[in-house]
Amino acid sequence: MSNSIDAGKSEAPAIEPKPMSCLITDDSSLVRKIAGRVFREIGFEVDEAENGQVALEKCQIHMPDVVLLDWNMPVMDGLEFLKALRRTEGGRDPAVIFCTTETDVDHVQRALASGANEYLMKPFDKETLLGKLDMVVTRR
Amino acid sequence: MQAEEAVKTRSIADLAIATLHRLGIPATPANYAIWYEYHAGMSPNLQRTIDVLISNKATFDEATLQDLYSTFFSSAKEAQAVRETSARALETLQDIVGVVDFARDDAHQFGAALRGFASKDVGESLGNLKHLIEDLVSESRRMAGRSEFVGLRMKESAGKIEALERNLEDAIRDSSLDGLTGVANRRTFDTVIRKTAGDAMNSGDDLALLMIDIDHFKRVNDTWGHQTGDVVLRHLAKTLQQAVRGGDHVARYGGEEFAVILPRTDGHAAVNVAENIRKALARNPIMLDVTPPMTPITVSIGAACYEPGDPLAEWVGRTDAALYKAKGEGRNRVELN
Repeated sequence: MSNSIDAGKSEAPAIEPKPMSCLITDDSSLVRKIAGRVFREIGFEVDEAENGQVALEKCQIHMPDVVLLDWNMPVMDGLEFLKALRRTEGGRDPAVIFCTTETDVDHVQRALASGANEYLMKPFDKETLLGKLDMVVTRR
Repeated sequence: MQAEEAVKTRSIADLAIATLHRLGIPATPANYAIWYEYHAGMSPNLQRTIDVLISNKATFDEATLQDLYSTFFSSAKEAQAVRETSARALETLQDIVGVVDFARDDAHQFGAALRGFASKDVGESLGNLKHLIEDLVSESRRMAGRSEFVGLRMKESAGKIEALERNLEDAIRDSSLDGLTGVANRRTFDTVIRKTAGDAMNSGDDLALLMIDIDHFKRVNDTWGHQTGDVVLRHLAKTLQQAVRGGDHVARYGGEEFAVILPRTDGHAAVNVAENIRKALARNPIMLDVTPPMTPITVSIGAACYEPGDPLAEWVGRTDAALYKAKGEGRNRVELN
């Protein structure tokens, strides 16, 4: 793995870790702001999308490591986006965390069956969001 | 091999029962099947769905449990293995609680005992749970022994017994309202505050909370007795319902403390609602023919607004702090935090 040409050097070369990226997909600007702040605090590169269609276009250009995904959005909702994402090339890689006010079994079950990695119920706070992020990052 | 299997089944059954009690879920066959299956781990989808609900601190209310059952047990898609394990689970459940059956001779006492049992906090410990089951069994025996109609009633049709059991389940589950005052209970409050805070987080709308505590309530109980205390609680609940606006949610938070959730309300408007409550109580005092005559009942009220992204507990804590400030500064007043 080492890209150092000086094998005699005892110290490992400093490898700048590439920051992880997150795409926050939610039609609520307040949710994007709150979640964005949490992700930036822990060193994520954050991008935002206000619906599934915009998110899908962004994923085709740059596939994020994590998608935080609302359910009810205009143009394309979260579930439609998720199904489309998983069919896209490289679209199985991102960890998708649903983040929604929908709390019933049917929604949870459909989200998981469609390939969501985690499910966070609104309202969330920093701790609950980081808890879910931990689950998807350590599980990989 | 068979014995090993039986031990395994039994230990899963113990886990399932402990979980039912820990989460306060009625031990119906359907609920038992869900939680047996969860601990048996035969259905990854069921397990993941429940893990999501638990990790989000969701309440396992009647609707959620029914959805779980119909999603994972009524569907033809589900593997035969699920049905087999749940059948085995039920046998074990009958083995464990079967001895309680004969308590059915007396509907009311059995109901009361079971309700008491259901409301006890058994915590994580299976030892505690077993103690409670033993208590229930001996209580059941005592009741059975007292009734001269035991023999007769034991012969009553299975249908009647099942109907009784259903009523009992309904009574335990139908607990969205506070029995004394008729306003929403604490459990409903917990659900509504999450729902309204989730909506406020999406919309950016204001959301405020009031915590209301009766001043010197202990003195009321000590001087005129608990029945008078109950009348005071009912009177305040009624006054609250009349003083708030449509769309506000009144709940009994616990003891003599009430809460009102105020959607689309900022701090200033919340204080107005709180002042309306205080004035309504002053305008409409409780008329009771008691000795010594009752001094007017007043309340202290704390108010605070939800900050999206903050934990709900922090918000409730700030509201409580405002209430304590109102108490500290002489009672019968409103404080905004």
